[in-house]
Amino acid sequence: MDGQGLRLQAFLRRFFRPAGDPNLARINRRRTMFSFIARRMTVLKLSLFIAGYVWIFSVPSSQLDRGVYFDENALQPGQVNTYWNWKEVHDADHFLGELEILRDSNATSEQRSQFIMSEFLRIGLPASTQNYEFTGLPKGLNGTNVYAILRSPRVSGAEATIISASWISRVNEGDGTLNLRGVATVLALSRFVKQYSLWARDIIFIIGDGYMEGMQAWLSAYHGVTQSNLRAQRLELTSGVVWTALNIDYPGHSLSHLGIFHEGLNGRLPNQDLLNSFQHISRRTGVPVVLYDHKDELDLGWLPDNIRNHPEIKTYAAQARNLWRHVRYQASGRGSGVHGLFHQYRIDAFTIFAVPAAGPHGFHSLGRIIESTLRTTNNLLERLHASFFFYLLTSYDRFVKIGNYLPSVILISVAMMFGGLQVWVDAAWMERRHDKHEEGSTGMVWIRRRRPVLEAVSIVLGTHILGAACFFVLSHKWYQSLPFTSPLLWVAAYILPLAVPRFFPQNITDNVAPLSLVLKAFNLCLSSTVISIISVLNFSLAACLAVALGIPLSVASSSSNGAMGMVRYTMYIVLGFGWLLLDETRKQMIWDWDILGVWLLPFLCVVYYPLSLQAALVCII
Amino acid sequence: MLRTSLFLISLLLSSVFCLENINEEFEEYLSIKSLRDGRVTSSFSFTTLLRDAIPRDPRTLAFDDDTSQHYTLFPLSLGQILRQYAITELHLTLNAGKWNYDTWGYPDEPDVGVGAELRAWMAGDSISSIDERWQGVRNALAGLFCASLGSLDEQRTTSPRLSFPPEGALPDWGLPHELRHASHASEHVCTENLTPFLKLLPCKSLSGLATLLNPHRIFDADWHGIGLHVLWRPEGVEVRLNVQLVFDPLRISAQGKQDWSFHSLFDRKVEKACPVASSTRVSVELPNSGVYRVYPEPQEIRDGKAYYSLKNNNEAWNIGTMWPTDFEYRICHAALSSPDPALVPFSVTRNLLGPTQDRGQLSIVLTNNQQDTLQLLYLETMPWIVQFYLHTIRVHSDNVPRDDLISNISYVLPVPHARPATFESVLTLPGRSTLTFTMDVAKAFLRYTEHPPDAQRGWDLPPAIFTPLNQSLNGSMSLGSRVYTPSLLVDLATPDFSMPYNVIIFTCSVMAFIFGSVFNVLTRKFIVVRVRPDPPRNQSVGTEKRLEDTDSDTLNELNTSKSGVH
Repeated sequence: MDGQGLRLQAFLRRFFRPAGDPNLARINRRRTMFSFIARRMTVLKLSLFIAGYVWIFSVPSSQLDRGVYFDENALQPGQVNTYWNWKEVHDADHFLGELEILRDSNATSEQRSQFIMSEFLRIGLPASTQNYEFTGLPKGLNGTNVYAILRSPRVSGAEATIISASWISRVNEGDGTLNLRGVATVLALSRFVKQYSLWARDIIFIIGDGYMEGMQAWLSAYHGVTQSNLRAQRLELTSGVVWTALNIDYPGHSLSHLGIFHEGLNGRLPNQDLLNSFQHISRRTGVPVVLYDHKDELDLGWLPDNIRNHPEIKTYAAQARNLWRHVRYQASGRGSGVHGLFHQYRIDAFTIFAVPAAGPHGFHSLGRIIESTLRTTNNLLERLHASFFFYLLTSYDRFVKIGNYLPSVILISVAMMFGGLQVWVDAAWMERRHDKHEEGSTGMVWIRRRRPVLEAVSIVLGTHILGAACFFVLSHKWYQSLPFTSPLLWVAAYILPLAVPRFFPQNITDNVAPLSLVLKAFNLCLSSTVISIISVLNFSLAACLAVALGIPLSVASSSSNGAMGMVRYTMYIVLGFGWLLLDETRKQMIWDWDILGVWLLPFLCVVYYPLSLQAALVCII
Repeated sequence: MLRTSLFLISLLLSSVFCLENINEEFEEYLSIKSLRDGRVTSSFSFTTLLRDAIPRDPRTLAFDDDTSQHYTLFPLSLGQILRQYAITELHLTLNAGKWNYDTWGYPDEPDVGVGAELRAWMAGDSISSIDERWQGVRNALAGLFCASLGSLDEQRTTSPRLSFPPEGALPDWGLPHELRHASHASEHVCTENLTPFLKLLPCKSLSGLATLLNPHRIFDADWHGIGLHVLWRPEGVEVRLNVQLVFDPLRISAQGKQDWSFHSLFDRKVEKACPVASSTRVSVELPNSGVYRVYPEPQEIRDGKAYYSLKNNNEAWNIGTMWPTDFEYRICHAALSSPDPALVPFSVTRNLLGPTQDRGQLSIVLTNNQQDTLQLLYLETMPWIVQFYLHTIRVHSDNVPRDDLISNISYVLPVPHARPATFESVLTLPGRSTLTFTMDVAKAFLRYTEHPPDAQRGWDLPPAIFTPLNQSLNGSMSLGSRVYTPSLLVDLATPDFSMPYNVIIFTCSVMAFIFGSVFNVLTRKFIVVRVRPDPPRNQSVGTEKRLEDTDSDTLNELNTSKSGVH
């Protein structure tokens, strides 16, 4: 036994500490390892790319997600007997009738707000209105918000919860469908909650005018944030710090499911515990929950029967659909509704969307669920802080943890970084036939050459400055008022960079590396860094960037054929700046930036377009 | 027969008590008022007067206290505290809720700041410092009232100059008197505070008006507060215990009527008067207009108030008011009708604006409801975690910059981790105007261990206090009723004390490690160079030259790598 142990020890020592100079052995070992890696760099890069893409596309599978659970024990969802009953339903119906009269008489937003305010006052709540106006837009944008504050008994008023509804529903991202039932629910709730002394904080009821803009004006005024193009009236009534908010959206006649919309502005998400509590309560109350408004199954008619009915495939399809919706909301930075505006003030909020249907549920179930959710958030002693801020919901009760989705993008970004560094190293060396005059050598040798760093850096900086200039032009107010501005800007963004090769004439010598190689190295490293950083701020955007830039940027190369180079150049410009020509998208992005401060437009102009422009320049230099 | 004899005996006994306690006097008084928004405020006060007593002179603290403390009605446990720490005047209030001045008017007891507030006037001497006695009285009262008054430490204690004048008189010992004031907004008043409070009453809650103090109802009231006030007047030391409540009959009864009675509000009636009380009186403020009925028939009506004396009655008292119609909230459209006359001369809102965790803006909006110019004493006692930038003070009156409206600024700097800031100034409000006061603040970055267990809740900041300054005819200034703003909650930069925080730290370390290695590998090159032993000096020139030419770089690198190894 002892002998064996000693022998093992000796073997291990020999293995880890071979005889001779240990430093020498270490250096040799390293050299072998790195030459091994360096020789297989292409394979490694490729496998990282493949692993990354496969991972991204397997995120919707049921292997990577898990069931939701509660992290904050104070919430205690669904542990109370609710008091909301038919009397309150009657109230809601009454308010709805009044609101329908207002709708049919084409009341102005001023009249509407006066009516709603007087209803609040009649209930016995201090209420007020707020006028707002967004200036500098081609079309005037103004309105009047109404809000009321329940000064909850026995509390200091240093904390508050918000229940809100916007006048226009989120159906088709605010196409003009009215949220009458949502407003009626808020009014009935305000009368209902006043009867109880169990509230631990003030409750603020807000009816925001318009879809997003009203709430933006109200929240800015509440938090004392000034926006240069917004003139909002000071709020006469205020309360304390807001931790949670529920936004109610009930556009239809009845509801069959309750949908969760949770994405906030610029990729922010509310704490998942809030959503979990809601879905738990709703299902306990007997109303099925869906993510978004996806109540019907996805139509997979084009697939063969045996594949279509495979449970794994079905789950994958449904979850992929949810995730795709999520990616669209999150990557666009616009969020999925009014609740998205709250997140920037550290308020956890989501929209309860009553999916329109012929039945069977209505005010009765909705009221009970909202009451119970409100009382769950009422239990909070602290702001929601425990873990769940990084998650992907694949379905209302399943989610992907950060550890299971983040590596996909990071792998692609690592592959790009490796690629960039490889190009950087390659640029420094050149294989040359050996001079025959020297003695004792044959074949090829590697010689070192200078890398034009300064030129590459100035090109990189120049592209970003050009991007910033594009952004300045796009966000300027006369941009939208003049015709043909977008094609002109596009052409400018296409033509101007073509002058770059003139400034950096290519002198092909042996001791200077080609500029395109150094530029490509910089481009890849920069893109990789951008993607890695964005991945924790806004995963969906990072995933889109990884897919859009990962392979294309890696394959960019200069072409000796001028026409071929121009074709590639054009493709990269279209990839980077093509969105400018999509009229609706561009208008929406400009509006989002002007009114809500969504970062997508500046990001696309200042970061994304320059990155692809750099790749385009690699092709023509 | 039996009842009559019992009554006679009790009468005899009570007369004996009265004879004995000729120098102690106990009075009960309850005033009830219906408010504009249908709520009902009731204010109990239980006053014990210890005739001819004077507070202890702090110079006698050096000697043992040999005079016996013998009280019959005066609470002994309180008397001991007052004597041990030589307190001249003491005010302790424990309140819950937000006093709504605009619809409720001024309270009967002015101290309505949320949470716990304690202040004491003490004479200074060299034997034991005021601060030591202040600490002692804090801890003693914390024990007496089961409240976290111990947390009213140096970090919350201030000595404002003007806002809290003594309510009684200060004995002329030739010693200066000093004020200590502290408040703690997140202290909650509860049954555990009420029970010791009732023990200080001579009849406990067994008889008299204190019967009505039913904890189930008190702590369900929209606003409730208990207070203890000790003060000295030339006729003696007065202890006033008071309970102030605001009920909402519309919520309690769940009907649309604002009717109230002892039974509906307190779920109790006054069965018998407190035998040792020299007077037990109830006053009901009569509504200004409308049809109503006050029952039972008042014994006296004076100045719009109905008075009852609850002595000498064998029946249970159930005083109340009824209205024939349902209550309706007034909808004051500015356009439709003139709003009701304001109950208070000015309204105030205070907010801490700004969404970030490092900077903010303190914003105060004051509206003068009168025609006359109003001068207000503004007091801010701010813990050091919120630091003022005085140079950013801006005063606007109706959106016009008016820096002349702020005067007499006095500021005691905060000491981080030790002392709060005290900011006092005088604001002048022109008639019928809105004054906006803003000041930028910085939010402190706390030490890791300074965060409370519920770190993510934020920190409660004490209310600000506004006191109108009234100029009398002879030119002297007098102070009006204090107005407390609601408390504030401030978010400081808080580390995430949970598990993901550790995960993030760990992941970052791993990432940094991997990046370091990869970067190292990519930017450095390790080459093995055989270094021959030094050749003899006379031959060395040529060799060294060659070495320098070819391999100096690699040699340097070898050296670096070697130094890295050791």
